[in-house]
Amino acid sequence: MASEPAAAFEVGRQVKPGRRVGAPPVWAVLIEPYALFLLFLLIVPLANVALFSIHRYSPTRIALPDLTFDNYRKIADPYYLRLFARTLKLGLITTVVCALLGYPLAYWLARARPRLQAFGLFLLIMPLMVSAVIRIFGWIVILGRKGLVNEVFAALGLEPVRLLYTDTAVVIGLVNVFLPFMALPLMAAIERIPPNLEEAAQNLGANWYQMFRRTILPLSLPGLISGSLLVYSISISAFVTPALMGNSRERMAAQQIYDEVLVSFNWPSASSLALTLMLLTLALMFLALYATRRAARLERGR
Amino acid sequence: MSGRAPWIILPVVVAVYVGLLAPLVVVVGVSFGPSATFAFPPTGFTLRWFAEFFASDAYVRSFFRVSLIVGLLAGTIATLFGTAAAVGLVRFRFAGREAIETFFLAPLLVPEILLAAALYLLYARLAVQASIWTLLCGHLVICTPYVIRSVTAGLVGMDPRLEEAAMSLGATPVQAFFKVTLPLLRSSLLSGAIFAFIISFSDINLALFLSGPQSTNLPVHIFSQIQWQGDPTIAAASTLQILIIGLLILIVQRIFRLRMLV
Repeated sequence: MASEPAAAFEVGRQVKPGRRVGAPPVWAVLIEPYALFLLFLLIVPLANVALFSIHRYSPTRIALPDLTFDNYRKIADPYYLRLFARTLKLGLITTVVCALLGYPLAYWLARARPRLQAFGLFLLIMPLMVSAVIRIFGWIVILGRKGLVNEVFAALGLEPVRLLYTDTAVVIGLVNVFLPFMALPLMAAIERIPPNLEEAAQNLGANWYQMFRRTILPLSLPGLISGSLLVYSISISAFVTPALMGNSRERMAAQQIYDEVLVSFNWPSASSLALTLMLLTLALMFLALYATRRAARLERGR
Repeated sequence: MSGRAPWIILPVVVAVYVGLLAPLVVVVGVSFGPSATFAFPPTGFTLRWFAEFFASDAYVRSFFRVSLIVGLLAGTIATLFGTAAAVGLVRFRFAGREAIETFFLAPLLVPEILLAAALYLLYARLAVQASIWTLLCGHLVICTPYVIRSVTAGLVGMDPRLEEAAMSLGATPVQAFFKVTLPLLRSSLLSGAIFAFIISFSDINLALFLSGPQSTNLPVHIFSQIQWQGDPTIAAASTLQILIIGLLILIVQRIFRLRMLV
């Protein structure tokens, strides 16, 4: 079914029963509601953030409508540089750990029998859909001062360790929350590699690790790239995990934004931070999207 | 055979699953245990924390009057928006179609916490009071792409000749859509709706910014209870959410390909 642009010129003639000339085409009527909705609740808010980010902060009136780039210049302050460096570092560690754990999981899932795979996917996706705050709460119980880990330590006669409110705890939480975003694209990529390719490599004398390095790894690279970019970009904007599991003085960027919006009401500064983080994330996300599309195109071309 | 995958993979996979599921198991365990200090494994069995959950105004309101209502509304409206958009995108050819498709899935690319801050600042500029409606609007932004995805998958997998056959037998396009296409889309529609509900029901990032004092949803209430060192009622509330979401995911897995949605 195609829309008929020519119909618009045939003024005064009924083209189809029930559809007047000059009426918008059907596709426009169908996509319009959500397009308008997104315009007002995605584009306008982002434009508003951009606008706030060039306003001047005023302690009494929050934002004065001047044009200033001070909010962006301020990001070069040592405090904010440290904040971003920490955020990007924790994001990187999380991504690497997710990749290291995600590969075996993805390989196993990709090569599992259908029923087992369905079960494995359920166990992977179900926790993903439960609110992050609940999973983090579980980790607090496990890692807390009187938590499961320390109870085991005590039973073994070991000193209790401080696990919660450290960077280690934040990384554990982030990996736990975001691992599925690494495992799923990886699994999809590995599934597309025909199993007989593995056999062929091994018949030619490669052991399993050589085969993995020479076939699975390069062929699943698009999955690894898109999974990594996805995990990296969502971990650098994570809020709940560092807020509940991290040190309250060593924070991540999203916590700073939260405080500046809801606690100190410095909306211009918060806006410049948010926009910077958003542009960084969007750039990564589009790279991920590009990597997956490219992989899909290569796949179709095969 | 030398070609077997190394033995180390299985232990790693098991360990990863243990890590993924441990927090949920612990939360469920604590919710049925008598200890007020979150002792795990539980030393007994009690429903006390569930009783406290239902006796607490704040918990009951956040669960039934906010999370559940906003989730149901978000699921329904997102399904209407998303189905219309998916049909428009898949069944018609027009200039800029791919750009619009990317635009429609764009909310999945914006970090939720930043979207939340942006919506908060817009509401603030327009002096809109926080309520369940401001929360609902935010949720619709992040829920609808999932419906678009599932309905698109359903439409692409469907034989367009079925519609054409209906029309050649005298049905109008509208009749063909409602009598042929829509019934065939049933499972992808339902999956999309369920997913939209889940996304709204378990969302905390948007709700942290968009819910007012009277419209705190369950995850935000749990969040503040954790910060204020609440009792295992937190665990009881969490267990209820885990049960509901687990059940819904099972349904989606029965009727649809789960992995097309995430």
